[in-house]
Amino acid sequence: MEIYLPVAEMSVNWLVLVALGTGVGFLSGMFGVGGGFLMTPLLVFTGIPSTVAVATTLSHVTASSMSGALAQWRKRAIDFTMAGVMLVGGIGGTLFGVWLFALMRRQGQMDLIVALTYVLMLGSIGTIMLRESLAALRAYRSGATVSRRPVNRGWIQALPLKMRFRQSRLYISVLPPIAIGFAVGALSAIMGIGGGFIVVPAMIYLLRMPTKVVMGTSLVQIIAVTSITTVLQATSNYAVDIVLALLLISGGVVGAQLGVRAGAKLRGEQLRMLLALLVLAVAGGLLWQLIVTPADLYSLSEAAP
Amino acid sequence: MKRAVLAALLLFAVPAHAEDLVSGISQDIIQITSNYTGTNIVVFGAIEQAQNAQGRNIVVVVRGPDEPMTVRRRDRIAGVWVNSDAARFEGLPAYYYLASTEPISRIAPPQVLARYGIGLQSLTPTAIGSHHDPEPFRQAVIRFHRRVGLYAESPGSIDFLSETLFRTRVPVPAGVTRGQYNVEVYLIRDGEVVSAQSTPLFVDATGLERRVFNAAHESPFPYGLACVFMSMLLGWISYVLFRRPE
Repeated sequence: MEIYLPVAEMSVNWLVLVALGTGVGFLSGMFGVGGGFLMTPLLVFTGIPSTVAVATTLSHVTASSMSGALAQWRKRAIDFTMAGVMLVGGIGGTLFGVWLFALMRRQGQMDLIVALTYVLMLGSIGTIMLRESLAALRAYRSGATVSRRPVNRGWIQALPLKMRFRQSRLYISVLPPIAIGFAVGALSAIMGIGGGFIVVPAMIYLLRMPTKVVMGTSLVQIIAVTSITTVLQATSNYAVDIVLALLLISGGVVGAQLGVRAGAKLRGEQLRMLLALLVLAVAGGLLWQLIVTPADLYSLSEAAP
Repeated sequence: MKRAVLAALLLFAVPAHAEDLVSGISQDIIQITSNYTGTNIVVFGAIEQAQNAQGRNIVVVVRGPDEPMTVRRRDRIAGVWVNSDAARFEGLPAYYYLASTEPISRIAPPQVLARYGIGLQSLTPTAIGSHHDPEPFRQAVIRFHRRVGLYAESPGSIDFLSETLFRTRVPVPAGVTRGQYNVEVYLIRDGEVVSAQSTPLFVDATGLERRVFNAAHESPFPYGLACVFMSMLLGWISYVLFRRPE
């Protein structure tokens, strides 16, 4: 059951990888996320070099986002103007991220940066989500309805370069979407994620986009960013393994469909709480690896080019 | 290459009536295919004009292409293990396997072993840049490669089929690098190398694996686009397959 990965230059058990793709796909379908944040650390746990793991997970995210975006497109629930504006920042962000990635790789700090970014991002987002979902669950039990705390949008309204986003019924400055796009593009290159778990809250709470267009628009933005990052990673780090990508996607698309069906049986707050626990577990695992004394203090890496 | 020249010189330098060595390998090309999980090659040989077997030893060394390597040492900084110190080496093989009739320390004195590069402790790379103490880093390279089976010493693993005919099985694990390998066979008598022979062995990827690797490295832009296209296509197919009827 071994298969040789031509770019990672190693033999792996392909059943393990398809199973991994299915498992992550199941969770991403259930929670409506791309799953990159789970896939990259899991690939690293199985022994894939982190450069290849980060670069190849993006293909998996592209495929699952494509599937989801088509469904949203059918419902006409995509704001292409907003996605386009965010992409302007996204291109800059991915270029910056890939450059930083190559620099860190030369310095030998790739693994550390990836792990630290993950711990920080997942730790903070997991904590916020857990608190929010617990509060919602408590409120649900006591029969009250939670009102989302209004975000002060004064400073966003005051920004220049306003533009009309018809689909989202918004008339706001293009600067916040560009900034969000930049941040997500950079994180996408460094972490191998689509960034849905950042884009979606940013669209809802910062830009105040209507919830029904958020999912589709973020998916389009994610497809664009992961596609660009894949090409950049392929050209600057030679780190995309197409055979690995094929294995992950094959498992992932099936798992995602099963996950969507399973997710439909759970309540939104419960789903968010489970996702929060999952996110915190991944962050905890990565943190543990950083602080536990390694078996061998020395590590070998390919020489920097 | 240097060693091959050395071996050739040695062959000519030895007087015609002295003990000599003929050797061969079971295959001179190892093809890495999609289901490659490691293989074995057989190195065999015969001693010509054989003299007294007492004090005579055979050493087989298979070495892979040299690769520059960077070794990093982690230190705890603010509670987190961080790569802090590094040493870079050149002239270390990606693969090294040694088979011998006896433990090599009993076969020849250290300076002879060092001269011919026999044994893991004779691997003396050049440290690039200056490092005040490269030795623990060198030991770490050897330790790491031993753990994954890319470096090994296997004394007593040479079988004699007759008084003069011998063979040994060399494991080539899954993680080997592509490139030119060298199979060196040494005939050592009373601590001196009296004959040596070197045969090249090629490890290469074939078929699809090779094409994918070449595409990824030689035309990365179209390759990257192909990856994106494949992902989108698979996403679209899955959407069509699993679409719920409305």
